[in-house]
Amino acid sequence: MRLGPGIRSIDLELKAGKILGLVGPNGAGKSTLLQVIAGLLPLEEGTITAEGADSIEARRANIGYMPERVTWSGPGTAKRAIERLCAMRKIPVSEGDELLELVGLGTRIEDDLSTFSQGMKQRLSLATALLGDPGILLLDEPLNGLDPVAQSAFRVLLNQLSQRGVCVVISSHTLSDLERLADEFVLMHQGRIVAQGPLTEIERDLGLKATLEIAGLGPSPEKFGTDIEVEEIDKQEGEEWAYRLHLQQGEWTTERRSQLGPEMTFTRLQHVPAGLETVISAATGLEVEDAGFAILSEVNSDD
Amino acid sequence: MIERLQTIWDVGFQDAKRHIRSQRMIILSPLIVMTISMACWGFADSRIVPAGLPTNTPSQVLFYSSLPVVFFCTLSVVLIGFDSISRRRLTGELAIDLSQPMPRSDYALSQLLGVWLAAMSPTTIAILIGIFLIQQQMGEWPSAADTAMFLGATGLLLWWYTCLQLLASSMARDIGSSVTLGVGTWLFFVFLWLIPTLIVAQTMGIDITDPNSVGFDKIQEKVDLFSPNGVYQLLMETRLPADSQPHLSASSIWALTLVWTLFPTYLFCHRIGVLRP
Repeated sequence: MRLGPGIRSIDLELKAGKILGLVGPNGAGKSTLLQVIAGLLPLEEGTITAEGADSIEARRANIGYMPERVTWSGPGTAKRAIERLCAMRKIPVSEGDELLELVGLGTRIEDDLSTFSQGMKQRLSLATALLGDPGILLLDEPLNGLDPVAQSAFRVLLNQLSQRGVCVVISSHTLSDLERLADEFVLMHQGRIVAQGPLTEIERDLGLKATLEIAGLGPSPEKFGTDIEVEEIDKQEGEEWAYRLHLQQGEWTTERRSQLGPEMTFTRLQHVPAGLETVISAATGLEVEDAGFAILSEVNSDD
Repeated sequence: MIERLQTIWDVGFQDAKRHIRSQRMIILSPLIVMTISMACWGFADSRIVPAGLPTNTPSQVLFYSSLPVVFFCTLSVVLIGFDSISRRRLTGELAIDLSQPMPRSDYALSQLLGVWLAAMSPTTIAILIGIFLIQQQMGEWPSAADTAMFLGATGLLLWWYTCLQLLASSMARDIGSSVTLGVGTWLFFVFLWLIPTLIVAQTMGIDITDPNSVGFDKIQEKVDLFSPNGVYQLLMETRLPADSQPHLSASSIWALTLVWTLFPTYLFCHRIGVLRP
């Protein structure tokens, strides 16, 4: 059997109540890492330890795993699919029904799976990952196929789960998908972790410029300071001015943001994460174009 | 242990229900019921039995009625189970299954149980109807031992085919390959098995043109031990009158029955144990 490149030298600690964003281009090893943690793939070297789990089955009992793009195929209904997994986990069927309600499939539980859209299939996959009230939730590209409303509800649900102490690991090939969701990031490239920590720290450690987008009404700000590179960007409807501000050094702290104009009316004031290709390039020393091609192939394969 | 067996049964039973409700079973079930029950009915009527076939007792009728089991019931296992693992693997459902806290060996057994129960359900109904029809035609019931042997041996045959089919399904990279592997195995054991038998017999200097040769019979029985259909036929022959009994000892037939039951089951459990979803 031809084995893939796999993952190497991974040292990772998952903390209760934290949302960890696993980001990297095609072939970085994100899915492999999730499958190894979930106990689906064996380790050739190294160990995985989980508090209170002395066997792989005990570890799996505390893990909810949602693979990428499960294309649930009929014949069969969502209810039957989840009942089967309830039997495997030895938990009451009523818990499965409650989870189907929670992910918004309450009215479709008796419908054949072949009538489900990809978004509904993603929600069913999420419900299966939540079975058994797991302490660790591993989600592989869960936002794929979800419409904006479902994505928003999904983020709210994940925040609620992390507040209840669940550790959520969520993979994506775009930083912006996870920027407002994840507490910390793990950046992977070619089977290794190349950067780890909060996004602002990663950007700072890699020497990337912190970028802020601002837009507003009324008089446009005239002075930004000498360490800020200003770029005018397209205004959105109802906005009178819009800029992208690149900080030469340091971070966009709350204090620094407030110095932009205490009396101004902002309609937009948001941190803009560096593109994945920029971060990968900074972390690996690859040319931005080379890093970009790897990511482009990931995006195209998803289409 | 009891808890683990209960989980295997629960998951297997749910899978069996899903298979039984499937469209393919709606087509297969009446065919199985008709062929087995009609075979029992036909072989039990001396007026329509082809000349030369001794069908004087219910046990002989049951023996000849095992022919449709070899053809149709084994094919039903292939048609029910060919995509059991490969489809779930392609859709990603297998990754969800294998990430559950159920041990993989237990999961493998539940999958075998699901397909086997689905194939066994119409077969059992057909055999029971057949036994009733034998009584109607011949005026006597097959003995409890004959009935138990027919049901038990048929159950074992379907279990062996389930193991082979799910093994093929777990190895196939796509559903087409899975069908090809399954049907290929079925064709080999049902239609082509005579070829290796003839080759072995000729190699050993036995006249293969004489169908009544005792030497050929003995070699055929030995070669048949390596075929699930052959072992099934030998098991059924152990219930026939003394002059039709197999030349092989009952202990060697039962030993191979045990090997055919345990070895493919172990292979499939091992396969699921190392499977990358």
